[in-house]
Order: sequence, then structure tokens, then C-alpha cells
Amino acid sequence: MEKYKVRNKLRKLRFLNGEMTQEQLAEKAGVTRQTIIAIEGSKYAPSLELAFKIALAFGVPLGEVFSYEIGDE
Amino acid sequence: MSIRKIYISVSLVSTLLILGYYLLNLIPMMRQGDLNSEDVFRLAAIAIIASIVLNIAGNILTNIVIHIIHAIQTQSDKEVRLIEDERDKLISLKGAQVSYVAFSLGVLASMLAFVLGQPALVMFCLIIFFSLLAEICGDLAQFYYYSRGS
Repeated sequence: MEKYKVRNKLRKLRFLNGEMTQEQLAEKAGVTRQTIIAIEGSKYAPSLELAFKIALAFGVPLGEVFSYEIGDE
Repeated sequence: MSIRKIYISVSLVSTLLILGYYLLNLIPMMRQGDLNSEDVFRLAAIAIIASIVLNIAGNILTNIVIHIIHAIQTQSDKEVRLIEDERDKLISLKGAQVSYVAFSLGVLASMLAFVLGQPALVMFCLIIFFSLLAEICGDLAQFYYYSRGS
């Protein structure tokens, strides 16, 4: 059975938002920098609420930040 | 090393110290075969109280040290962000679950020792031992989950 995984474009979006730092994004989303690092590395799938907060921080729809794709572990 | 990992390390070290103290006092008693309830209960009480006190003192000291290091590194009086987000709560819950399973198995093993003919005092000693071991397992699990990401 194919294994799906939550993927994200945090790195790209941070770059497009004037090289926003992980710390700045963490502050906007109300989480720790370690959590942003874990999400960016696809090691942690955020809750729906946190995913919305992150999308809101970038000012884009949720689908532009996160996607659900077949993982390659 | 993240701030959470530092807190877990402090808790781990303090529990290991208590476990060491507990075993160092208990094993000679068992070897000499003079397990009496007063000494065993006193030792258990010391272990439990010391565990609580050491954990609190460790957390306060860690807090102070973290703030000092942060102030030196950033050269400002801006406070360290010590928030507990959803990932921290999830990892804390996973750690508690590991602790709970370890303690349940420990209690089961202690009861088994009682059923197999060991005195009730030995069962009590084993329960205290497994409660400390369960706390260590929980801390190790949290450490592992933080290293893995979640």
C-alpha cells in the first residue's frame, strides 16, 4: 500500500517572504522554532489549526503551503 | 540542544541520581537479609520526596541558567520564549504513555514476585524501583521523540 505524507513548501515561502526566519514564522504561528524546523523537514505533521496559522502567516491558502503526497521513505 | 531537551536531561539526571541512591541503600539491606519495614518505608519516602525536590530545584536552576546564557548570547534583556506548543504537548503525552506502560508492567512484575512467595516488603521495594524506572523510561522516550522530530 502506498504511504502518503504531508509535504510542505515552508522553505520556499519563507524565501519568497523576504527571507523570513524560522524564528519569525514561529512567533507568527505561536509555536517554537523547533516545531517549525520539524514541520519544514517533514518530520512532524501539524494540526489543522496550526497549518491554517502558518498559511495565514504567509497570506496564502492552506493548499499552497501543504500537500498530501506519496512519501518516499 | 533545544531548551526542552535540556529540561528532559535535567529530569533524567535527577531521577537517575535518586534511583542510584535508592539502590545503593536497598541492595546492602537485601544482602544482609534484614529488610525491616521502618527502614524500607523511610528509604522510599526519602526517594519520593527527593525526587520531587530535585526535579523542582533542577527546573528552577535550569531556568536561571538558560536565561543567563540567552542574555549573554543576545546581549539584550528580551525574554526566552518558553512556550509549550502542540508538538511539545504531544511528545509529553507520548512520554507519559511510555511511563504508564513501564509502570504497569513493573507493578505486574512486583505482584508476580509476591505471588511466587516473596515477602510483601519486597513487592513494595520493587514498586518504588519500577516507579523510578518508569519515569526514566518516559524521559528517554521524550528525548527520543524530540530527536526524531515528533
